[in-house]
Amino acid sequence: MLEALGFFAIAWTDPWLIFLTAAGTLAGIYVGAIPGLSVTMATSILISFTFKWDVNEALALISGVFFGGVYGGSRTAILLNIPGAPSAIATAIEGYPLAKRGEAGEAIGLTTVMSVFGGFVGILALALFAPVISSFALMFQSRDYLLLGIIGILLVGTLSGESFAKGAFAGALGVLIGMVGLDPMTAEGRFTFGSIHLLGGIPYVAAMIGFFGVAEALVQLHTLNTPAIKQKIDRIIPRFSDVKKYFWLAIRASGIGTIIGALPGTGGDIAALLAYDDAKRTTKNPERPFGTGTREGLVAPEAANNAAVGGAHIPMLTLGIPGDAVTAVIIGALFIHGLKPGPLLLVETPHLFWFIVGSLTLANVFLLIFGLTGIRMFTKIVECPKAVLIPLIIVLSAVGTYAIQNNPIDVYWMLLFGVIGYFMKTYGFQVGPVILGVILGPMMDSNYRRAMLRARQDVGDFLWAFVSNPISLVLTTGLLIMLISQTPLWPILRRRVFRITD
Amino acid sequence: MMSSDPANRRPGELVFALLLLLFSVAAFWQAYEISGFTGKTTAGVFPMLASGVMVISGLVILVSAASSPPAPKDAPGFFSEVVPINHVVLIGLVLGYVVLMPLLGFLVSSALFLFCAFQFLWRKNPLYMLALTALTLAAIYIVFREVFQVVLPQGSLFRGYF
Repeated sequence: MLEALGFFAIAWTDPWLIFLTAAGTLAGIYVGAIPGLSVTMATSILISFTFKWDVNEALALISGVFFGGVYGGSRTAILLNIPGAPSAIATAIEGYPLAKRGEAGEAIGLTTVMSVFGGFVGILALALFAPVISSFALMFQSRDYLLLGIIGILLVGTLSGESFAKGAFAGALGVLIGMVGLDPMTAEGRFTFGSIHLLGGIPYVAAMIGFFGVAEALVQLHTLNTPAIKQKIDRIIPRFSDVKKYFWLAIRASGIGTIIGALPGTGGDIAALLAYDDAKRTTKNPERPFGTGTREGLVAPEAANNAAVGGAHIPMLTLGIPGDAVTAVIIGALFIHGLKPGPLLLVETPHLFWFIVGSLTLANVFLLIFGLTGIRMFTKIVECPKAVLIPLIIVLSAVGTYAIQNNPIDVYWMLLFGVIGYFMKTYGFQVGPVILGVILGPMMDSNYRRAMLRARQDVGDFLWAFVSNPISLVLTTGLLIMLISQTPLWPILRRRVFRITD
Repeated sequence: MMSSDPANRRPGELVFALLLLLFSVAAFWQAYEISGFTGKTTAGVFPMLASGVMVISGLVILVSAASSPPAPKDAPGFFSEVVPINHVVLIGLVLGYVVLMPLLGFLVSSALFLFCAFQFLWRKNPLYMLALTALTLAAIYIVFREVFQVVLPQGSLFRGYF
C-alpha cells in the first residue's frame, strides 16, 4: 500500500511531470473544444512525438490530453452549439439554450465542477477495481482473450455505427491490417507480396493517424464555412447550492459512466448519452423541460463522460483490451514503450499502474483550475477558421507519421488510410473498430492458435472449452447475445418472452 | 455531415460496397495462399477468418445498399456531395506534399503545402497568407524540433541547408 502511494506520488512531486500533465490538460481542453480536432487524433499524433521520451513523461502528457479533451468538448457545445467531441452531444442539447439565455458562464462552471467530480469517481474505481480484476484475469485463458477481443471490436462497431455488418467489416479489416508482415509464431510472411517493407508489417501508428487525423480533416472539409456565434460570459464559479443540489445525480451519472467506460469497446460517447437518457427518465421535476436548457441534462452527461476515462483504463490496463478508441491508441503507446498491458502489468510493473492513477488524478485537478479560468481567451482561439485548421492537421499528421521510423513510406500509408477512412466515414462506417482490430488482431491470432493447440487441434474439444469453463461460458453467452440481437431472430424471441411474462 | 437521408442510398455507395466486397474476396484468396487448409493453427487461419468475416459482412452491406432506395434524381451527385472540388484539390495537394517532402525537406515542402492550402481554402490576400504560413510553420518547427525533439525530414535537394 505504502509502495503504491509512493508510485502515485511520483506524478505529483517531479516538477517536470507536473508541468507536462498541466500542459497536456490545457492542450487537451483546446483540442477537445476545437471542432475538427479530437482526443483520438491528438493522442495518436502525440504517440509518435513522445515515443522517444521516458514512459512516465509520455504518460503524464497523454493522461492530461485525455482528460482535458473529454471535458473540452463541452465548452464548444455550450458556447457554439457544436459538440467539440461526440461525447458532448447531449451537453449541446441542454447547454446551448442555457448560453442563449445568457447563462453560458454558469453552465461552463457547473459543467467543469461536475466533470471533475465524475473524473474522480472514475479514477477511484480504477484504483479500487483494477487490482481485483487483474488478479481475476490471471485465471483467463487464451480463448477468453480471443472472446474479449471479438466482443470489444463488435461493441465499438455496433453501438456507434450504422449497422452491425459495417461494424463487423471495419473490425475484420483492422484485424487483417494487423496480420500483414511476419507471422510472429512461424516467421512466415503474410500479405507481403515479396516486399521487404511489408515484412515489418503496416505501422499501426500510421493507420491511427490516417484514420483519425487525415480522414477526420477530410470530413471537416464539408463544413468549412460554418460561422460561429458569440456568447456573453458572466459568472463562472458555480453556486454551492447548485453543486449540492445535483450531487446525487452526479454520483449516479458517474457510476453509469464508469461502468460503460469499463466495458471493452464502449467509451465516453455512449456513457454520456446513456447518463443523459437516465437523467431524463429519473428527474421528477426539472426546473425546465429537457431540451430547453435544464441543468440536470448538463450535469449527467458531463459527469459520465469524464468518469468513463477512469473506467476505460480498467480493461486496458488489466486485460489489455481497450475500453474505447482513445485507450486503443494509448495501448499502442504502451506497446511502443515496450510494455504489455494485461493482467501481469500490475504484478510486473505496479509502479506504472500507480503512476497512471497518479497522473490521471493530477490531470483532473488541473482540469478544475483550467476549466474555471481563461474562458474569454478561449472563445478567441476556438474561432480559428477551419481553412487554417485543416492544413495544420495534415502537416502535424505527416510529421507525426514520419517521426516514428523516419520512413517516408509510412507517410504514404497515412495518406492512403486517410482517404479510405474518409470514404468509410462518408458511407456510415466507424473507423474506431478498424484501429481496435489493428491493435487486437495479433493478440487474438496468437490466442486463437494457443487455444487450438491446447485442444490438440481438435475442433470439438476447442469449441467445448468455450462452454465448459465458467469464465469462457459467461463471455461466450455475452457474445452470442450480441450476435443474436443483431439478427431478425431477436424481435421474435423477445416477443415470445414477453408474452410468457404477461 | 451528409445532407441526404441515410435511408436513401448515398451517391457512390453501391460502387463502394462492391469495391469492398471485391477487396474482401481478394484478401480471402491471398489469406488462403498463405497456408491453405493444411492445418488449424497455421499462419493463414486467422487471416482467412478475418477476411471471411469481411466477405460475409461485405455481402450483407452490398445487399442492403442495393435494396435501399436510390437518392432522388435532383439530389447532389457523387462529385458534389462525396468528393467535391475542395476534396479533390486538397487530396492532390497532400499527395504532392508527401511526394515532395523527401526531396525538398520538411520546411520547404510544408511551407509550400501550407501556403497553397491556406490560399485555396481561405482565398484571402496572398501576402496575409504568406505571413500566416510563416507564423504557423515557425510555431510547428519550434514546438516539434525544440520541445519534442522530433527528427524532421531533411530534403535530399538542400541537404545541410535546412
